[in-house]
Amino acid sequence: MPTVDIEKIKKEIIDSQLWRSVFRGGVWKDTPRDRAAHIIGNVWLHLHPVKVRPRALEWLYTWGMGGISFALYLILTLSGVALMFYYRPTIGLAYRDIKDLEFAVTLGMFLRNSHRWAAQAMVVAVIAHMVRVFLTGAYKKPREFNWGVGVLLLTLTLFLSFTGYLLPWDQLAIWAVTVGTNMAGATPILGNEGPLGSLAGMRINNDVRFTLLGGTMVGENTLLRFYVMHCVAVPLVVGILLILHFWRIRKDSFSAAPYQANEEKVDVWPHLVKREYVAAAATVLVIMVWSILQNAPLEAIANPNVTTNPSKAPWYFVGLQELLVYFDPWIAGVVMPGLIIVGLIAIPYIDTNPKGIGYYAWKERPFANTMFMLGVVLWFALIYIGYACRGPNYAWYWPWESWYGLKAAPPATWSVFGPKGDGAYSMLIGVPLLAGVSAAWMLLPKMIQRDLDGRKTMGAFLGLLAVLAAAGMAMGKMDVLQGAFLLFFLGSSFYFGFMLPQRHIRTLDWPRYLVTMVLVVSTMSVLLKMCARLAFNIKYVLTIPSISMNI
Amino acid sequence: MSYRKLFYVANVLLLAVFVWALVEDFRAEWRPYQAAYYRMAAEAQEKLAAAQTDPKKAAEHKAAARAMRRSPVEIKQIIVGDLGRFDRCVTCHVGMDEYTNPSLKNDFTENPYKAHPKIDESLVKAHPFTKFGCTSCHSGQGLATDKDAAHGWVKHWEKPMLKGVHIQGACVKCHGDFETLKGSEVAARGKRLFQEHGCQGCHAINGWGGAVSVDLGDVADKPFERIAGYNFKRVRIDGKELPNEHHNSHWNIQNWILGHLVNDPAYNTPNDPFAKLNAEPIPPSGMPDFSAEISRADSDAITAYLTGMTKEEVIPRRYYVFAPAAREPKFSQAKDHGRFVFQKYGCQGCHGLEAKEGRRRYNALGPGQKPFDETMTEEEIGRQMELGREPTLPDLMGTYTHEELVKKIASGVPAADAKKWNPKGPMPMIYMPGWKDKISPTELNDLATWLLSIAKEDDSGF
Repeated sequence: MPTVDIEKIKKEIIDSQLWRSVFRGGVWKDTPRDRAAHIIGNVWLHLHPVKVRPRALEWLYTWGMGGISFALYLILTLSGVALMFYYRPTIGLAYRDIKDLEFAVTLGMFLRNSHRWAAQAMVVAVIAHMVRVFLTGAYKKPREFNWGVGVLLLTLTLFLSFTGYLLPWDQLAIWAVTVGTNMAGATPILGNEGPLGSLAGMRINNDVRFTLLGGTMVGENTLLRFYVMHCVAVPLVVGILLILHFWRIRKDSFSAAPYQANEEKVDVWPHLVKREYVAAAATVLVIMVWSILQNAPLEAIANPNVTTNPSKAPWYFVGLQELLVYFDPWIAGVVMPGLIIVGLIAIPYIDTNPKGIGYYAWKERPFANTMFMLGVVLWFALIYIGYACRGPNYAWYWPWESWYGLKAAPPATWSVFGPKGDGAYSMLIGVPLLAGVSAAWMLLPKMIQRDLDGRKTMGAFLGLLAVLAAAGMAMGKMDVLQGAFLLFFLGSSFYFGFMLPQRHIRTLDWPRYLVTMVLVVSTMSVLLKMCARLAFNIKYVLTIPSISMNI
Repeated sequence: MSYRKLFYVANVLLLAVFVWALVEDFRAEWRPYQAAYYRMAAEAQEKLAAAQTDPKKAAEHKAAARAMRRSPVEIKQIIVGDLGRFDRCVTCHVGMDEYTNPSLKNDFTENPYKAHPKIDESLVKAHPFTKFGCTSCHSGQGLATDKDAAHGWVKHWEKPMLKGVHIQGACVKCHGDFETLKGSEVAARGKRLFQEHGCQGCHAINGWGGAVSVDLGDVADKPFERIAGYNFKRVRIDGKELPNEHHNSHWNIQNWILGHLVNDPAYNTPNDPFAKLNAEPIPPSGMPDFSAEISRADSDAITAYLTGMTKEEVIPRRYYVFAPAAREPKFSQAKDHGRFVFQKYGCQGCHGLEAKEGRRRYNALGPGQKPFDETMTEEEIGRQMELGREPTLPDLMGTYTHEELVKKIASGVPAADAKKWNPKGPMPMIYMPGWKDKISPTELNDLATWLLSIAKEDDSGF
């Protein structure tokens, strides 16, 4: 009986001209040289370094979220290209093509579900990635630039998801996009409804919203524009930025984890590559199972004459939509998201704390971590309120309440300062008062040069509030709930917006200090305005109608 | 677990889940139906072959049976470009597919296997499936291939398959002459009833009729978004509430129309007469209660007629059948003509059949009301507001001269002039519109003559 020498056959195959012409390198001997050659000699793998520090591999350190985001991007590219074979971006065909995918195309429903759910998952994964990088201080020198690239990628991820939202051309799509793009019309100077917009010559048919829609309302041109942006333009930019992002990760020595004595690097092949593979496979599995079990929503065909009630933006923008309850569109839809993006990019340049690079450091970075997590929690809390607690007419419905029950019309709102405010000179008082309070708030924490006793100051402030609330209640101008709102929102704004900066950042140089305080005070203004609106029905604190300026 | 094991497990799972997805995709609801049809049709052919004595004919039946068994299970569709139809109904209803079943007849009695009923009748013959598809007449979601979605019994499909006599609304869509057609008798009766009860007095149809309430020319397209779910839940058909779900097998426009006829519309749409939820009081639906006057069957007929009132569907001009306007009867007496005019313009919609008794007008003055009193309970105030009535004409006519009456009908009574019973209650909804642009002078003259002829005489003998 002839024996089969597998090793010999293997060697012959590997040494054959065909094999060698395709794969570089000879028989795999698992030497360090082989492992390095595997990374260097492979076009897909060579964005990796050859060796990596073991700390960079720990799941608890990385959460694997960057890799998972990229895996989702690949799933989205593949499923997206497959969907493009079936989809025509015209208002006569788009909806029908989606129905075809749902009812006639083999695996069509599965394909559409995968694309939809992977897109939602990618938004979550990218945000989780950012949270992880922040908490481990991995954005600090020399990684400031790459953090900025990451923030842009996060923005583009949201924009990609948003442009894709319109394509099914159902009621959900056009009204979500109508909500989203109407905010663009409120951009200061560039939007026809924004402050100073009319002064800059903006009309409904030449402003930034018109550019986005290719018309004055969501229609055929919008669909085509969003299609091209969704399938070609934005993915191209994302691809370029991704390469930059990966390349900088490698150039900035891959991981921010601090060096330890006697630390020995390990080979990327197989230690990192196997982890990446398992994470990607798990991601694909989750998306596939999810897509089998749960169908993507599809409502009635888009009808510009029938507004859905309520019309909600895609869930990741519902937080901004919820802000529309408290602020005018130019603040909620433009200034706030603008501040978030610019603020995030600015973080590495204003955070001069040398500690906490490459590890979780709650005690060493109390201010940075608290403010950042407060922002993240606020973002998701607003999303939860907008998504789960808002029903017809955008009235407040608890998640367990039926939307069929009628609600009382909202109570009339009022403005504190402005032409319709209290008193004849309310503008004359309001503008300086608001400016004064903001300036004092911005400057005082740095001006008080000594440590305040936290407990005493907080206690004094809360005591003052309690006295105010009690007085208000005694005069019959306030009820218990309003008092509680006042105490909670003003108290937390004071703690996060005044006590913390006073204790932790008063030693910063003036430019950094001021930029930080602008971000802190804007975050607090959201809390304060929520309190004013929810508990006291205040629409504007200051309104100047002649230039569409309402705060 | 080591990464090597994880690697293998992950790969096996990936493959398994992909197979699962394929299986789920393959297990589409329509497959077993179509396969069963082929099997049943093959068995029927084999039975014929066994009973056949002529070997040549038996062989033919056997070949037909073999062809049936060999038919691929696949999605079938009728594409009608003209009407924008892509109807996949025949994927399950194979007996109605001309390619599988050229005779369009079979002996099966159950859906989805059975053939289209009345296939030999001129009505079906005149509308070949290849030219009209299925949903042109039946409605439903032609693109869908699972049962609930295809029949439109799902959320977000607002035109589910028409049931029972409501299908006759489909005739009304294209046939201007539907009143004289065989097959659309119920819809024709619906139109007659619509006019007999004076619906057109308030609801114009494509501009013809009064403008007190909405034009019903496109009522079949009414988006559910404009019907608060709260009100759908109050609709009762045969005394029962519609199932408590947003499921279009019940929550559909037909039940909405029907619900206005078999219930008191003020119950369907109670609104907010005591301003509990809004700053201003909002009266309940102004539509009078017709439930005692129009039977359930008649309500269905009116619903069938209104089901044809659609503007949404794109039907090319040449598909329409136009009919000359019906000739009006001639009258020798002005009085009789006046009575006809009263009916023609739907005056009975508010003033009652034969002008005998004015219908409800919420929070207007009416007979039998107590004087308004602040101390009354809310319930009592509600009851009293319900007693508000449109004028009962015979009681009133005696106070008018012929000229005054003509002028009054021509100019109407503005809604703002209404006298409220409860000064804090809502404005009465329905009002007398001015008819001078709708009713011709001769008609108006004769109408006044008739109205004066039915005036009640008071004690003075006037």
